[in-house]
Parts: sequence; C-alpha cells; structure tokens
Amino acid sequence: MPAFRRSPLAAVLFCVLLAAGAWLAPARADDAVVRIGVLAFLSGDDTLQAWKPVREQLQRGLPAYRFEWLPLDHEGMRSRAARGELDFVITNPGHYVDLEAELGASRVLTLDSGEARPERAIGSAVVVPRTAEVPARLEELRGKRVALVSRDAFGGYQLLWRELLALGIDPDHAFAAWEVVGFPMTRVFDAVLDGQADFGIVRACLLESMPQYAERLRVLAPRDEPGFPCATTSRLYPDWPLATLRHTSPELAREVAVALLSMPRTAQGVSWAVPADYQSVHELFRELQIGPYAYLRAPTLMALAERYWQWVAALVMGIVVWVIYTVRVEHRVHVRTQELRAALEERQAIEARMRANQEQVDHLTRLSVLGELSGTLAHELNQPLATIGNYAQSVLRRADAGRLSEAASREAAGEIAEQAERAAAILARIRAFAKKRVGQRERRDPRAVVSEAVALFRGMLAQAPEVTLDDRLAPGMAVEMDALQIQQVVLNLLKNAYDACRDLGPERCSIRVGLSISAGVLRIAVRDQGPGLDPVIRARLFEPFLSTKADGLGLGLSICKTIAEAHGGRLEAREAADGPGMVFTLSIPAHD
Amino acid sequence: MTETHSRTVHVVDDDAAFRRSLVFLLESVGWSARAHASAEEFLEQCHAAHGDMACLVLDIRMPMMSGLELQQRLRAEGCAVPVVFITGHGDVELAVQAMKHGASDFLEKPFKDQALIDAVVAAVRKGDAARADVARREEALAVLERLSPREREVARLVALGWPNKLVARELDISEKTVHVHRQHVMEKTELGSAAELARLMLRADPHALDG
Repeated sequence: MPAFRRSPLAAVLFCVLLAAGAWLAPARADDAVVRIGVLAFLSGDDTLQAWKPVREQLQRGLPAYRFEWLPLDHEGMRSRAARGELDFVITNPGHYVDLEAELGASRVLTLDSGEARPERAIGSAVVVPRTAEVPARLEELRGKRVALVSRDAFGGYQLLWRELLALGIDPDHAFAAWEVVGFPMTRVFDAVLDGQADFGIVRACLLESMPQYAERLRVLAPRDEPGFPCATTSRLYPDWPLATLRHTSPELAREVAVALLSMPRTAQGVSWAVPADYQSVHELFRELQIGPYAYLRAPTLMALAERYWQWVAALVMGIVVWVIYTVRVEHRVHVRTQELRAALEERQAIEARMRANQEQVDHLTRLSVLGELSGTLAHELNQPLATIGNYAQSVLRRADAGRLSEAASREAAGEIAEQAERAAAILARIRAFAKKRVGQRERRDPRAVVSEAVALFRGMLAQAPEVTLDDRLAPGMAVEMDALQIQQVVLNLLKNAYDACRDLGPERCSIRVGLSISAGVLRIAVRDQGPGLDPVIRARLFEPFLSTKADGLGLGLSICKTIAEAHGGRLEAREAADGPGMVFTLSIPAHD
Repeated sequence: MTETHSRTVHVVDDDAAFRRSLVFLLESVGWSARAHASAEEFLEQCHAAHGDMACLVLDIRMPMMSGLELQQRLRAEGCAVPVVFITGHGDVELAVQAMKHGASDFLEKPFKDQALIDAVVAAVRKGDAARADVARREEALAVLERLSPREREVARLVALGWPNKLVARELDISEKTVHVHRQHVMEKTELGSAAELARLMLRADPHALDG
C-alpha cells in the first residue's frame, strides 16, 4: 500500500485543533463579514500574497463587506465549509467537484489566468531530468520511482493518473517507489534533481514559470494543445472556480460575481470569467473512481480485496484451516467408523464361523486325539497288510514254479481273508471314532463309559498292557456328560500311561484306572508305573504343542483339558504317592 | 527258485499271522523255515539246531525279549547265525544299532517279498563265508598247536624269511639248534617252504607276523 494514508494520531490532533478553533473563533455575529476559503498550495502567507490583487479589487468593489480570506488545505476547507463557516471557496476543480457533491457547492465564476482559456487551463506534467534520454514515453515509467506532492493533488497527480490508466498503467502497481514530498510543489523538482526519484509529477506551467528548474528538467511526452502556453502531459481541464456554498445568500453571490466580473485584469493578467463546464472533471473522477465517484470503486471485489487484503488473507486462512480441520475430522471419523465396522463384521464372521463349525471343532479335537494315536494305528495296520502281501506273493511264486498245492492255496487264501478282516476292523474303529457327530450331554453310568474306553484302548493294541479298574462307585450311578468326549480323555490318558511304561517291560507296564465320587465330584484317575515327569515338563503339561514324544503333536492333553473345562471340571497331574509313576485325574461335577 | 536248501531259516515274530506268512513265503522259494513266537522260545532250540541254521529273520520289537537283546545273547553264546531284522516304521535308530552289532541286513515293514528273499540269501552267504573262515582258522590253530613254544618262536622268524644265522643271534642259541628246530617245524606242519608256513600262521592269526 502506498504510504499516504493518514495516521490516526494526525486525525485526532486535527479534530482537537478544529474544536479549539471553533471555540476561539468569534461567531458570525457581523453579517457584513464575508469569509472566503482559498486552497493553499503554497504557504498560507504566500497564498494570501498571491491573491492580493484580487483581494484588493474585491474589497474595493464591495466596500460594504469586510472580506476575510482564509488560506486552507483540502480537509480544512471541507470541514469549515461543512460547518457553515465559509461563504465562498476558491479551490482547484477537483476539490470543487468534491465539495459540489458533498456540500452543494456551486460555481459562480471561473478564474481566467490570462494565458490560456479558462475551460482549458490546467494540466499535469511529468518532469524528468534533461540529461536523461530515457524515458521518452509514459509507458517507460513502469518500474521507476515517482515524486509528487500528494495523491490527492489535482494538477499534481490526478490528471496524469487518468492518462496512465488510459495507457493501461495502474499506478498502484507500476511504480517502484513513491516519493510523496508535499507542498510546495517545487520539492518535486528537487526530488527528481537529487535523484530521489526518476520522475516527478507537477501541475503544467509550473516548470515554465521557474527558469532555474526549467533549464535542468524537461516535460515528458508533451501533448499538442493549441492555445495552451505550457507543455502538458495530460489533457487540459478548466481553471479554478469561485463557488458559493448552500447557505450563501444568492444576493451576496450575485454581488460578488458582478464585482469580480467587472474587475479589470490584474497586473498578473488574472481576471474572472463566466463559470466553465466542469463536466470534464466529473468524467475524470468517474474514471478514476475517486471523489464523488469513490462509490464506484467500493463495490468491486478486487478493490476490496486490495484494500483489505490482510483481513481477506486472514479470513481465507481461517477458512482454509477450518476446512482442513473439518475435512480431517470427517476423514478420521470416517476411517474410525470403517475400522469399527470392519472389526464388528470380522467379529460377527468369526462368531458365525464358530457357531457353524462347532461340530467341526469337535470333530477336529477328535481327529487330533486320533493323530496322537496314529503312530500305534499305523503299526497296527502294517501287520495285516504285510501278512496279506506275503501270502499273495508266495502263492504267485508257487504257481510260477508249478508247485502250488491245493492245501497251500487254501491256507494262503484263508490267512489273507482273515488279515483283511483284521485290517477292516482296525479301520472301522478309527472311522467310528473320527466320525462327525453333534456333541450331546446325557446321563450316563461312568463305569460303563470308562470300561468302554478301556476296551477300545486294549482293542487298538496288539500287546495291550494290563488295565485294572478300581471301581468305588455305587451301582446304578449316572452323571451328566458327553460320553464320547470323556472317552477321548480316558483314551488319551491310557495312551500316555502306556507310552510312559511300554519300554519298561510288561511287569512294570500295568495301568490302574480309579473311579470314585465325593462331594458331588466324579473322579477318573489314570495311574501309570512310568518314570514320572520332569518338573519343567510338568509345569507346562497342558499347553498345546508341547510333546515329549517324537511323533506327538502335543495336542492330546491340551484338548483333554479343554474337554474337562467344558464339563465344568478339571484335569490335574501329580506324582503317585505310592511309588513311581504319574496320576492324571479328570474331575467333573456329578449332580447326584 | 526250485532249488532246495538243506538248512533251515528261523523266523521270530510276536505276530502269529505275520510269522506264518514269512514261513509260507520262504517255503515258496525252497527254504525250509521254522517260526518262533518269542526270542525265549527260539533260544531254547538254538543250541540244538545250531549247525542246521541258515539264518534268522528277527522282529526288532517284541514284548518280552526284544530282537536286539536276542542278537546280543546269541553273540555272547557264540551262536554265529546271520540275522536279518524286520523293523517297524520309525525304528531306524534301533536298526542302526542292530547293524553295528553285526546284523546282516534290516527290512522296514512293509517290504517287498523279493527284498526279504534277497536279504536271506545274502545273509546265508555271509554266514557261510564267516563259517568257512572260522573253520580254516581253527584248522590252522590246530596245526600250530603241535609245535612246542620254542619251535613256535623259530617258526615265526622263519616265516618272516630270516636266515638261520640271524634267528640264532636273535634267540641267543646256536645256528645248529635253529636248524634242528626248523626241521621239526616243517615235519610237524607237513609244509615245504617258509612261504607256506607264513600263510598258515596268518590264517590262524591275521596279526601273527606283525612287529
């Protein structure tokens, strides 16, 4: 932003001074006093001096009035006029148009400075050092530093502004630096000559009137304006008007007008003419969207954005942050929701799968137990198969040699049939055991269930060890259980007991199964005579996949424990109190 | 496979049907075969039937005395019968042990009938060879038994090719005495040369001429 905004402090000071002035200034008690405000572009005294011929003529022409001339700046003149403290104003055409719009100022006369016609008297000139060849055209001013009295200056800036805009140059962005030097306007010349700026903007004719500057400065791109005595870079506009204000009496206005019109040309060649047409000034202001036409500028979004860009940027930033935040939160909520939904679906799927596969799970546990027994079963099946093979091959050999007797044929065929049955029986046992079935609880006699398991176990082995049943149950006892699962446990314990003692010889390989009930708990205890268990192994006995056997899966006891717990019971292991071996005890509740 | 063998193959297996099938198979190729239900049962008959035994087909796993134990008992009792072991699945370690203790072969169940037959034939052949070795050693030992201790010393040095003079110096006796001992050795062993004497001594003891 260019640095010509008024500081708030200055504005406050100004208001204070105005208030003080209003207090000190004597009220307009005497109607014969006529106050004329004059725009001061020089110092106050110089301004009064410059208007001295006019002042004297007017006073002479209208002796009944006492004319008070007040040299004022733009704002001073506006505020005094607004308060009704001025009867007439003499100001530049731009300021006049402002006052006309705001305070109803009305031109009465236009100054005739003598050399140019009143309606084409004011222009703006761009001055550059005569030594500089460049710039030669206005377009070349882009990127240069400018010196001027004020951005509010009419001849000193605004006229040229219009010319720049016509060339598509926006002064707000085109120049490298703004050297705002203030009045008097000759400071602009000094700034250019001192090198503080590359060019200056002044009122046309100012340079021509000052030979000491004119010999070192020239006007850039002078227009061809016939009848205008000076070089001007801008178009020409009417000269200063004398204007009345709303409260000025028409009587007084007429008298002053007549007096000034009838006034002879002063020594400086100044006289007054009928009011010129200030339409060109209106056009200028409309194009520049300033003064009374500032409202044209206000609504454009770009203009607003330029003016309040910090606020706009902050707002945009805020919106962006808010949008990002919102999007992020939305996204996270979305992701979390997705995760939650996925987790829920997964859980539901697992539950559904578990429900659907409960039978399958049962089946698998049985298969696992079967796997534990498979080493033994493979050995069992090997026997009949090898036997059958031997007989069949022998028969073939004898037949080939022509020595196959009928007796031998019968013997071989009989043995083969017998062994085939033996194999089939083993397979049937496995299949019956592995067959899927829905788990069911029913009241069963524990003695019968355990006896069946023992019989099954002994039937699976060629050299089954001795199994004694220590039965301390009352006859006709019934306990609710899944008989097949309990049998799995018992089978497993029997198999373990057998594995523990099979290498120790038949006299040590006897297994005792105890059946007892006390305090509503049924106990099935399987006791072996083996070497017992290493404490480390014992501590981890029921963990899955722990096995001391080369071909073991390590699932047997883990599954047994699961079955025991499913019955609300327990599976425990301890060393036998009397002598070597382990006792595995399955306890399940027996509600009478 | 129509040849018949004078000697008997013995089968020891606790599975009755299986051991019967082995006997049936062996008889199909001309062997005479006898089945035994346990190691103990076999041991009782072993001594009686020693010379008649062609080989032993032995189940490595049996409830009372295992196959391995039986093998050791036979070695301890000098019953030099070749053994073919039959092992179950996963009994490789036992089989290795059996081979270390001089088993002829082992067969993992289930096996091809031809594999068993080949194993039995090879075992019998090995057994015969071992038996012949033993016979020849015993014969050589019997011949050398006829020599006095001094004559044996002289015979060893002669077999090594030493001239009489050196032998006399070594044993600190007269050359003439060496000559007499040498003559007695050749007469008692009924051999004609030092080379033949060396061969006899090596047959009796493969390390006889060492160091």
